[in-house]
Amino acid sequence: MRLSHGFVRGEALSCIYHGWSYAQAGNCLRIPAHPGLVPPETIRVATHVVEETDGVIWVAAGQPEGGPPRLDGLIPLRSLTAHADVAAIEAAAGVRASAEGVVDLAQSPGIIRLLLSAQTEGKTLIHVLIKGTADPTAGIAASRAAESLRRKAENLHTKGIAP
Amino acid sequence: MKLYDYILSPSCYKVRLMAALTGVTLDIRPVDFHPGAEHKGAELLALNPAGSIPIFVDGDLILTESSAILVYLAAKAAPEWLAVASAEEAARVQQWLSFSGRLTASLGGARLTEMLLRPGDIGALQAQGVLALRELEAGLVEQSLRGMRFLAANRLTVADIACFPYVALAPDGGVSLDPYPAIRLWSRALRGLDHFIEMPGIHRLHELKPEPHIEAGEA
Amino acid sequence: MTMQAMIDEWYPVGLASELDQTGRATALMGEPIEVVCDENGDAKVTGSNGRVLPVRVRYGHVWSSLGAPKKELFPIPEADQPGRRFVDVGVVRVRCSPLRAIENFLDIAHFPFVHTDILGAEPHTEVQNYKVEIREDVDEVWATQVKFYQPQAAKSASGGITTEYMYRVPAPTCSVLYKTCPPRPSEWDVITLFVQPLAEDLCDVWPWMALFDDTTSLTDLIHFQQTIFLQDRSILENQIPRLLPLDPGMEIPTRADLTSVAYRRWLKRHNYTYGAQLVAQ
Repeated sequence: MRLSHGFVRGEALSCIYHGWSYAQAGNCLRIPAHPGLVPPETIRVATHVVEETDGVIWVAAGQPEGGPPRLDGLIPLRSLTAHADVAAIEAAAGVRASAEGVVDLAQSPGIIRLLLSAQTEGKTLIHVLIKGTADPTAGIAASRAAESLRRKAENLHTKGIAP
Repeated sequence: MKLYDYILSPSCYKVRLMAALTGVTLDIRPVDFHPGAEHKGAELLALNPAGSIPIFVDGDLILTESSAILVYLAAKAAPEWLAVASAEEAARVQQWLSFSGRLTASLGGARLTEMLLRPGDIGALQAQGVLALRELEAGLVEQSLRGMRFLAANRLTVADIACFPYVALAPDGGVSLDPYPAIRLWSRALRGLDHFIEMPGIHRLHELKPEPHIEAGEA
Repeated sequence: MTMQAMIDEWYPVGLASELDQTGRATALMGEPIEVVCDENGDAKVTGSNGRVLPVRVRYGHVWSSLGAPKKELFPIPEADQPGRRFVDVGVVRVRCSPLRAIENFLDIAHFPFVHTDILGAEPHTEVQNYKVEIREDVDEVWATQVKFYQPQAAKSASGGITTEYMYRVPAPTCSVLYKTCPPRPSEWDVITLFVQPLAEDLCDVWPWMALFDDTTSLTDLIHFQQTIFLQDRSILENQIPRLLPLDPGMEIPTRADLTSVAYRRWLKRHNYTYGAQLVAQ
């Protein structure tokens, strides 16, 4: 079972299946089937370095040297998954992504920046950023623009036109 | 008020959930839908010739569409759930009530095919389910930008109850909810309500209760 | 994966009560099969090339095998006991290894978290010591003296009771549970899980019950068991890895898992590896 199916009480994350709970360091705190047992050190889950900045949660692969990139007054609008690879999204946006997966859309109205994260099966997770000063109407327009961009990218991906 | 009910039917669950949340007591009559196909038998066909469940009976009123049953319960017990404060709210309620039929056809169809072996084009049903989930996700994102926590208003309406079960049970039909953060937040808000009831496939939010103090040998 | 050892076993392939002349197209371990009622009214099962497969009709279900079973279908003496009600719960398909479906059925530690307020509830989460053995004379896995506090142990139970269980694994994808019978304390209720392996990671599960309960309606009994199994289904479909690991190392057992440990050992000993993985990946 993935722990994401589980639940958080206080500072512990518990598995939905048998209720084993884990501390932030990844060590097992409690095995409900054996309340008297102190879980041995060997029972651990993998942990990752996580940081929250500017409303975005960043997870590090391995041990990062510095903190996550700053977003310069941008705020996260929403995250969506495209059944398209990064190349198809670049083609749809008409802009190449940086090595970190950042797509700058300063030219297009509404959406300011995309953060792309390649997933399995040719899917891509897209985080949409807008100006922190945007009003709800601008936010809604940006959200709809992101849907259109995804449709375009998925069409390109399906037809195999993406470079 | 009598409900012909199947414990695994998301449409029946809508009615049970609405009743629980609004404090209405239903007279539940269990129907052997699977494996018995009792809904196709003479007694139930006499009530609902379409051969579907739920069937809701109150006096000589017979309702067989879950959205209509939700509206009836709300009008009787909790009119604020109808959200007719503005033209926009009233229309949004109707929009999502109609939309819930698409969830039933797509995600509900995928679930019946994957789980209870009913015939169906599983790939097509799942693809339609994804389209519907994307629409719901976008709708919830926009509502949140408008400062609204729920589908039609800044409070719960029958629209939320109409859409919630098939969405929450999408994984039963092989459709993941991982790509929809707004749906997951909305779903958690519903599951965390006072008097919320579950159905199989929708697990208890164990975080709502504090960590119990357990001593060995106490169990 | 070797199919040979498991190919000679019996598997459920349909409900006896649903046998008809139209037939049921299904599969057994990757091979398409058809279950049909022949002109004499008998169950007939054919394999993909039209070959006639062995057949039994027992415990509410039709049973068959792709190979040549060396043993008769396992006995359930309670199936012939007068006064019991026999409940066909109906099929549920699960995207999981057939062996994982059985292992989950043998597990009680998940009750408070997955079957909350029915088969278990916090803070009553402790699994007390119980006995597990492989009974060599019958070649079955048995767990006995399994006790657990249950808020609603059965449809016929009113209020919480400490329930006693005995588990039996007489075939690689079948398990029989004997459980405290609230209306008749001197007897055991029988609840089974018969699993039809369609593929290594896909199965049709056929729960069946033989109960002493004269008051609960048949539909309520079916709904109770379907509720329990559908709560398990979402767990089973999310288990990682999908195949059941038979070598130690991947999953950490505790004392509560002794039945599972014995089940895995018994599977490995018999080369019952359809739906299993042998080397930790």
